[in-house]
Amino acid sequence: MNNNRPSHYISPSKKNKKIAVLLVLSVIISVTAFGINSRYNAQNTYTAIPKSTVKKDSIASVKAFEKVYAVLMSPRCVNCHPIGDIPLQGDDSHVHKMFPKRGEDGKGLYAMKCANCHQSENTKGEHAPPGAENWHLPPANMKMVFEGRSAHDLAKQLIDTKQNGNKDMKKLLEHADDGLVLSGWKPAQGNSLPPMSHSEFKKAWTTWLENGAYAPAKK
Amino acid sequence: MSDSNTIPNTSRRSFLKLAGIGGTAFYLGVFYSDDASANVINPDLPAASKIEMNAWIIIEESGKVTLVDHRAEMGQGSFHSVPQIIAEELEVDLKDINVIFAQGSKKYGGQITGGSSTIRGSYKNLLKLSATAREMLITAAAGIWAVPANECFAQSGAIIHKPSGKSLHYGQLAEKASKLPTPTDVKLKKRADYKLIGKGIRRIDTPLKTNGKAIFGLDKRIDGMLFAAVERNPRLRGKLVSFDAAETLKIPGVKKVFKIQMQVHSTLRDGVAVVADNSWAALQGKKALKVVWDDSGFEHLSSPEIAKRKLDLLQKEEGLIVKKEGDPSKIIAAATKKLDVVYETPYQSHYAMEPVNCIAHYQDTKIEIWGPLQAPDWMQQHISKTFSLPAESVIVNMTFLGGGFGRKAFTDYCHEAVVISKEIKKPVQIVWSREDDATQGPFRPGVSYRGEGVIENGEIAALKFRMAGQNIDHWMSDKRGKPNGSTTEGFLAPYFESIKNISFSDIPFETPIPVLWWRSVYASTNGFAYESFMDEMAHEAKADPLDFRRKYLKEPRVQILIDKMEEVSGWKSRKKNEGYGVAITECFDSTVGQIVKVSKKRTGGIKIDKVWAVMDCGWYVNPDIIEAQIEGSIIMGLGAAAFHEMTFTDGMADKKNFYEYNMPRIYDMPEMEVHIIDNDADAGGVGEPALPPFAPALTNAIFDLTGTRIRKLPFNMDEVS
Amino acid sequence: MVKLNVNSKSHDCDISNDMPLLWALRDILNLTGTKYGCGVAQCGACVVHLDGEAVRSCVTKVSRAEGKKITTIEGLSLNNDHPLQKAWQEIDVPQCGYCHSGQIMSAAVLLRENKNPTDEDIDNAMAGNICRCGTYPRVRKAIHIAADMQRKAENKS
Repeated sequence: MNNNRPSHYISPSKKNKKIAVLLVLSVIISVTAFGINSRYNAQNTYTAIPKSTVKKDSIASVKAFEKVYAVLMSPRCVNCHPIGDIPLQGDDSHVHKMFPKRGEDGKGLYAMKCANCHQSENTKGEHAPPGAENWHLPPANMKMVFEGRSAHDLAKQLIDTKQNGNKDMKKLLEHADDGLVLSGWKPAQGNSLPPMSHSEFKKAWTTWLENGAYAPAKK
Repeated sequence: MSDSNTIPNTSRRSFLKLAGIGGTAFYLGVFYSDDASANVINPDLPAASKIEMNAWIIIEESGKVTLVDHRAEMGQGSFHSVPQIIAEELEVDLKDINVIFAQGSKKYGGQITGGSSTIRGSYKNLLKLSATAREMLITAAAGIWAVPANECFAQSGAIIHKPSGKSLHYGQLAEKASKLPTPTDVKLKKRADYKLIGKGIRRIDTPLKTNGKAIFGLDKRIDGMLFAAVERNPRLRGKLVSFDAAETLKIPGVKKVFKIQMQVHSTLRDGVAVVADNSWAALQGKKALKVVWDDSGFEHLSSPEIAKRKLDLLQKEEGLIVKKEGDPSKIIAAATKKLDVVYETPYQSHYAMEPVNCIAHYQDTKIEIWGPLQAPDWMQQHISKTFSLPAESVIVNMTFLGGGFGRKAFTDYCHEAVVISKEIKKPVQIVWSREDDATQGPFRPGVSYRGEGVIENGEIAALKFRMAGQNIDHWMSDKRGKPNGSTTEGFLAPYFESIKNISFSDIPFETPIPVLWWRSVYASTNGFAYESFMDEMAHEAKADPLDFRRKYLKEPRVQILIDKMEEVSGWKSRKKNEGYGVAITECFDSTVGQIVKVSKKRTGGIKIDKVWAVMDCGWYVNPDIIEAQIEGSIIMGLGAAAFHEMTFTDGMADKKNFYEYNMPRIYDMPEMEVHIIDNDADAGGVGEPALPPFAPALTNAIFDLTGTRIRKLPFNMDEVS
Repeated sequence: MVKLNVNSKSHDCDISNDMPLLWALRDILNLTGTKYGCGVAQCGACVVHLDGEAVRSCVTKVSRAEGKKITTIEGLSLNNDHPLQKAWQEIDVPQCGYCHSGQIMSAAVLLRENKNPTDEDIDNAMAGNICRCGTYPRVRKAIHIAADMQRKAENKS
């Protein structure tokens, strides 16, 4: 029984414990943000950003990230950035029923590939699969986990080229208009919108990045 | 489902009598036909060269033999098992025969595929009619050769004269054989001589189910047919006030929209039918309707209120006594220590993979029906009555069923299809959406039980059960006020011999929610309550739960079953951190014991490590099909125990599709080991009896492991600790 | 007019672009081996191959299938002899059989991409196919048998 029930499929209380453990780990290995000298791997990340575009306004940046974080942690974003290898579903972000797995490329496995059900647009109807072109999870080698991340950790992760798919400032700025990102604002029937409009999000995203991509303080 | 609808037991006397009732002297082994023309030529077959030896055997001049499955094939294997029985005594090879479904007809003596009755209700008759046909073919051949009949034998569809080696195939003999008098003293084979029966022969229908060729109800196509979807009242019995079909009629393919009334039990239900030239258009058209309902005049209940009412009744009412030995109430009242607990099971929908559907063609003087029907003869009688046509003018054709579980023995959807066909004067297939199928009922009733018991000196001094749940019989006929005849279904009869003070009562309880049979019927809920309570009593008596049952179930067959359960499961040699649970139930003449082994998951909750099932179904046909039925029953039982339930809110069924009605999936299946007891007892049922013991065996195992007693289904195994 | 290539045959269908492939196959082309079970990609009874992928035809509009190769259960093999079909027959996997077109079509993608699937691989591939009769143990066993057959056939050639 349940020999292949993924370990992700755990009760809420257990799940929280697991997240807590992960948070502790991520704090220990965390790196500092753009624009701040770091003894760790800042060199790599810093050079990816043309200095001229960085305004280094930590207060404006951190404030903007509050909005960014609210969007990224909304079900429309977090559901495809899970901690485990199974996406989440619905406004309560429950583990996707029937347990589709990420696969190497993030597009699923065997007969359980994302696009087998998720079309290039939302399928009409209650609980019908939402959809957008190229529907997928981050690939296995760049999981870009949102689920359970603190604002501090997520900010650092987003700009870490080792964790963000080698995206530099330009690519990060462009990513606000990525098709899958935009699809968050076209929720399927029964799913809520992110907490602000896409233009408001994009403005916050840009402000955050262009002011130095500062991470909010640890809490 | 009652046994009264199964083929009567054909002792020689009743065989002769029934043949007499048929009114026709059949030339050859015909038992129940009331059709005077059916003695030789099957009127449904095009060529006059086909001889209907009897209602089950058709032989063509070429020697081709066609056997008839008179029951529905919904997974349980009748399409294979019925021919496997006939072929044994008729002496034909299964690889050489055709199998067809019977039409609905009285000549089969009862076709309801329910109550696990196909084999146990038909096998003696099938063996006898097949052997009779064989003997007549032998007599015919002996006559042609002018040799003694005892020098001839049947083999692989031919009669062979042993001394000379001459042979004639059945097609060369059928006509002559059909004119012979029917012998009344045919000898049946001994069980040890069976070549087919008792063997796990591969199913005849499997190849049809691996390449899409099996025709299920929804796959049937009739020339000129249209498709219909129906919008029905979400509270099931509201009245149609008005509807606006403007948007519906804009959908390409939609032909006509009109009000209908479908008969459900004794009530008429309003609906709006959308007829179109394809299913998709009909289903889209249904969604686009704007319908105004009048939902007044009946209660709009929600699940918590339903549960509360049942619990109140169990605390206040004694109910109608169904079975009583001694005076358990007196002992319980006087006892200083007693068990007094409540068990609850939920309503369930059937959720067969193939949603309800049916084709009807109304033609003024004749109605023809095609569909996934568990009871073609019932459909024939029902349509005949409701449309005032003689039964022979109602032709009912069975297809394969994509699951039935009791739902497709109900007549509502057949009636609905005829109503729509009558209106459009064309053949039409009604297509229920998954949501219709899930939420329109009828449902398995959720039942609550109160168990009270007293243990004195380690013995059961008193045992008392009360049940409160909707009574299916109340919906079938005017039996309100009578106790539920299935109150003890699932409970093993030998307990009544050994427990001196015991009673069962039913507290009548109804709601506007229509209810119906669901695989293993009341045993599916009773089994949980009764076998959980037996476990609680064993615990109270500080006895091993298996030994406790052994002590009270003295019937020799059950003793053998218990020994087998203990032997195969390693019950006595369990390890630390393993929970073992046992449950034994009986229904439809078969007894099934199951042992479930559970352990704690690393990530929290409980996992099932293994299930052992031992079935005593007496005489049986195909052990491989039995094993499959037991595996399937366990998984369906697991679903009902730990995955899904139908709930109601404000009078409406909540769980509309698989996203809300969770099903066990491949990763949820436990390891299973099945054993079948060999004995010479009469055949018992196979399709249902393995379902009831699973839930209590599981919850008893959880108690054994954790000390947590689960008394309400369904529960979440991930949340058990 | 929608052009569909199904089981290597081309069909011109006078249907709207947004009709799900399921209903085009069943009601227009009369290929009823592909089943309707839920209509919302929950059960897997409607799985067909679209350019080799196990798509759920109940939510796949015909517009997506245009210009692609559609294979249904009727076209999986010429003689009902795909290793999976043979394995299904060898141990009588189906009970009612309704879900098994979808089960087999899903399993076929697994076997193409993984010649030697473990139980876990099978779970990962087959998790989307519901069987109400509970044939799962045999589905798993038959996939292992079919994988064996497939490997033996490949070793010979």
